[in-house]
This record gives sequence, C-alpha cells and structure tokens, in this order.
Amino acid sequence: MIKSIVYKEWIKTRWFLLILTAVGLLAVGNIFLKVQHAITFNEAHKYWYLVLFQNQQYFKGLKFVPLVIGLGIALVQYIPEITAKRIKLTFHLPINENRVLLMMLGYGIVVLLFCFALVFIIFTLFSQHFFGEEIVHAALVSVTPWFLAGFAAYFLTAMIVLEAIWKYRVFYFLASAAFILFFFEKGIAGAYAPLNWKLAVLTLLISLSLTFSAYRFRKGEM
Amino acid sequence: MNKISRYFLVLMTILAAAVALPKLYWLAFDKPIHVPFVMYSSQEHDFFMIDRENDESVRKDRQGNYYTRDEFEVKLPMFFSRQLAMNGNMPDSLNGMDIDLQQINHARSMFRYRPRDMQTPDPGLYPLFEAESGRANLEMPTDFFRITHRMEFLDAASNEIDERKSQMFTTVLDNRGFNYPAKMIAGIPTTRKSCDEGYFVVDNEDMMYHVKLIRGEPYIRKIEVPEGLAFKHIAAVDFMDKKYYCYLISEEDDLYILTQDLYEFIRWPFDALKAETDELRVYGNLFNYTVQTRRPGYMKVVALDNKYNKVDEYEKTWPVSSETKQGKIASFIFPAELRLSDSTTNFVDFNFELMKRLNWIYLNIVLVILQILIIRRSKLKLNRNILDLVIVGVTGIFGFIAVNFFQNKFFD
Repeated sequence: MIKSIVYKEWIKTRWFLLILTAVGLLAVGNIFLKVQHAITFNEAHKYWYLVLFQNQQYFKGLKFVPLVIGLGIALVQYIPEITAKRIKLTFHLPINENRVLLMMLGYGIVVLLFCFALVFIIFTLFSQHFFGEEIVHAALVSVTPWFLAGFAAYFLTAMIVLEAIWKYRVFYFLASAAFILFFFEKGIAGAYAPLNWKLAVLTLLISLSLTFSAYRFRKGEM
Repeated sequence: MNKISRYFLVLMTILAAAVALPKLYWLAFDKPIHVPFVMYSSQEHDFFMIDRENDESVRKDRQGNYYTRDEFEVKLPMFFSRQLAMNGNMPDSLNGMDIDLQQINHARSMFRYRPRDMQTPDPGLYPLFEAESGRANLEMPTDFFRITHRMEFLDAASNEIDERKSQMFTTVLDNRGFNYPAKMIAGIPTTRKSCDEGYFVVDNEDMMYHVKLIRGEPYIRKIEVPEGLAFKHIAAVDFMDKKYYCYLISEEDDLYILTQDLYEFIRWPFDALKAETDELRVYGNLFNYTVQTRRPGYMKVVALDNKYNKVDEYEKTWPVSSETKQGKIASFIFPAELRLSDSTTNFVDFNFELMKRLNWIYLNIVLVILQILIIRRSKLKLNRNILDLVIVGVTGIFGFIAVNFFQNKFFD
C-alpha cells in the first residue's frame, strides 16, 4: 500500500520536481556567474570588500526560489486530489485516513529535502570556492530562512488546497501569507542568526497542518 | 493530531497578527516626534537649540528666548563658523584666544554611535592597510585578516591563506602575549580616511592590542588596560586634531577615549548612556565637546571643556509614542506588539513588547463574550472550548482572529 501511494505521488510530481529542481540549480549557477563576472571586472578583494562592508548580498538571487519550489510541489501534489474530490477515494482505502495523509506529506517532505539539499549544498560549495568561511557562514545564515520558507509554504499550501470552503481558504491564506513574511525580513548578511532556530521550530510545528483541513474535509465541512 | 495541529496553526496566526496588525496601524497613524538639536555655545557658555513648535522650526536658548537665524548663528561661532565668516561676523578671538577658520576646522569633530553599530553580525574579516606606503592615498589590500587560533591573512583572489604574512603577524602577537581568539576588532575599514591607524584588537582576556602594518612589517603594541576595565564597543575615529584613536564604551556603559601615541584611557564625565538602547553624538570644537545621548522620550546633553571636564548639562523628556494619542488608541486595541526588526539592532529576532497601559483588557473581555456567543451559535459545547476562550482572553484581537480563522468546529 505504501509503495503504491508513493508511486502515485511520484507520477503526479515527477516532472514538476525535475523542472523546479532545475530552476533552483539554474538560480545558483546564475548567482555564481555574476560573482565570477564581478570578480573578473572588479578584482576579488574589491568584491569581498563590498560583500563584507557594503552589504552586497551576492546570494540574493536565491531569495524566492525555495518558496516557489515548495509552493509548486504542494500545488501539483494536492490539487489533483481535490478536483472531483478524488481524495475521498483515498479515504476509502482500508488504511487509517491520517496515515494516508502523512504518507503523502512524508513523500513531499522527502522530495523537498532532496531538492533543497541539492541546491543548498551546491550553493555552499560554490560559496566556499569564492569566499572565506566568514562570508560563507553569514550567507548561509541569511539563506536558511528562505529554505525554511520553502517548507512552510509547502505545508501551508497543502492545508489551503485541502480546505473545502473558499471563505476559510481565504482566511488560511491571509494568516499564512503574514507568517511567510517572517522569513523575508530585510537585513544585512547574518542578521537572522538569533531567529533561525525559532523559525525552524515554528516550521516544524505547522508541518502537520494539512491534517487539520483534511479532517474538516472528511467530516463533511464542504 | 488534528486538534494539536489546529493549536499550532492558531499559534502561528497569533504571531503573524501580532507582527502585521500593529505594523499596519503604525504605518497608517504614526507621527514623527521631533527632538531638539542641542548645541553648547563656547561664547555664551550655555545651551542653544533648534526645536520644532507648531510645525515650525524655532531657534532658542535654554531660558526660552527665541532668536532669528542670524542672531542664533552669532551665538554659536564654533558651529556656524563658515556662515559667519561669509557674512563677516566671525569674531577674531574667543575666550581670550585668537582664532582663525583653519584652527576651527582642525579642531572640529563629529561622531555618532547607534546601538546597531554594536549589535550587528561581526564581519570576521578585515583589510589591514599599509599605514606608511609612501603614497598619498591609502590602497585597499588584496587580502583580509582574521584572528581565530592565530592571525591569518586570506588572499581574496585565490581564497588561500598567505602563510608567510600570517606567520609573521602571529609570531609577533605570540611574543606580545596575545590570548586567542580576538573578542573584538575595531578599526576604520575604508580607504576614505586621512591616514591609517590600523586596528584595536581585544583578546580573549580583555587585553588590548594596537595592530598596524608599517612598510610591510607588523607593528603590534600591547595597550595596558586598567585592571577590571573591559569594553563592549570600540569605535575608531579619524579626526584632524589627532587627540585620540577611538571612543570606547565599557561594560558599565562608561564612555572612554584612548589618547593618541600615549595610549591613555580617559573616562569622560558622562553617565547617562545605555549602549544597548541609546544613540550617542559627540560634537567637538576648539573649546568644548557637546556629548549627547538620547533614547525614546529622553535626552541628556553634557558640555565638556577641551580637557574633558564637565562644564554644564541639559536634560529633556518628551512623551514617547505610547503616550501620544495614537499610542493610547493602540493600547485599547493591541495587548502587545511583536517586531522582527528593531532600530537598535541589525539582527532579526522576535522583539516582544507588552503595551504599557492595560487598556486592551476591555477589548479582550468584549472579544471573550463575542467568542462565547459564536460558540453558542455554532451549537458547540462551551466546556470543550475553554482553551479557545483563554487564548482570546490573553492574546485579545490576535487570538480572536486566530481561533476564528481556524475554527474548532469538529472537535467537540
């Protein structure tokens, strides 16, 4: 049963996963092409100086990439479930309803982890190639909330899509949008150091949020 | 699980609302609070200020006498020397001393400290300029240094450590008894300064070192810090009169200077500073220093003579934003505010501030009653919704929005 559910999720998401991962890698490639160009034309030490003391954020091209990936995966994974209320069939399977949902969610988390880890590691390796560890560390502190936002967007989008009543979808969207802004506050490189772990905890807490709207769905609130 | 995930969503919404709603409110209704610009006159030996009254800029003295712009500038020859010289009003002597414009410019200094200068991520890498290159202009070095388990120079182009230079500096630091790693590195990391004075480095045992690069060789001098004195912030300065290297703020919030060449720590008689929250400004001239600190609702200005003795002081308080009309209205709506960014720090974090007035209790009570009516109307059991009522009672409008966005309908 687990295998077939994973296979179903894979069929739904594979092409988008591939495209979105490619978008993530292209964004990283673009960032470092720009860095290389700036260093070629402006000398490395002058570019380092801008990064260290003039708040030049070489990594800012990554800002909304994880958000778009999280949002995209959630949409392609859950929208097919609610068109013609297909998820009702899933709920008729001889298996605990929450378990089915958690498997779908687990699949989403695993593919997002895979995709984000790939983008994050390649970004880190390139950063280490061009910059000293202090600059890399500050950059990683700054991009971490953006990746967390990708997970949060995935969890919240899943919840919004599975909600059956439009009025509540709008409410959930408003609350979610205001929350997602937490991850995109303006700041200099490294500014998120005190907040990152708190955002990680909050993201973990809302990871099961789709069970809330799915429960409402099952109980006939539609 | 469904029920718990609901409460986490409620928590998320409360936090989001506590950030977004007050932010929108202040965006719509906040009014600027004008703080007077206070100067100490070396001629009149008193404080003068530019203030704002009835939406107009006014110039007055401490006693409340008003002046026209021209009258005002004549009272403050050290601040408006250029304008006075242009009008031909500049005195030839002051306090029994002959003065000329060049002298005045030479002695003039301006310094501003904001709490976010201290509360900011540490860059960790710094450029060490050649202090005596024989060139008129300073040049940006091609490497950056760090002081961790030793002093290392990292070449930017290759991203590799310059072993020879690192070894050279580390050896001298070792000989001077440096305790790794560096706690603080303060300097002026720009080529746009009159000359280079290197960096003031605080080691792991609060000892201070002056680190410079002179003709390719390390210049490292241990600075004797008086027993028990430790600094939380150092701001290097580049003033024309070269009387001191930097301003230093001690752990006890005292303000010090470190004198040029003699490396003497001199404590200024100024005790109003709270470095975590206050802004500090220092205006120096031939005769006096005007030292000013301010935080929301309060400012203190102290005038020192040029030997750093206190000659006069001035204090002023004014209503902070929570005491204005808009602030009072806000306290009827929001029990608290949550801010991610704060003007006193470069870090992003949850800055929670409870409203000083308890006016929001009224709205919270109304919302609890409203919530009871909503529960009744939805034909839900009241005793299954106690937690929701507690949430509304404590967090007010934020919780009310949260529990109604994420309804408790099916968990009876």
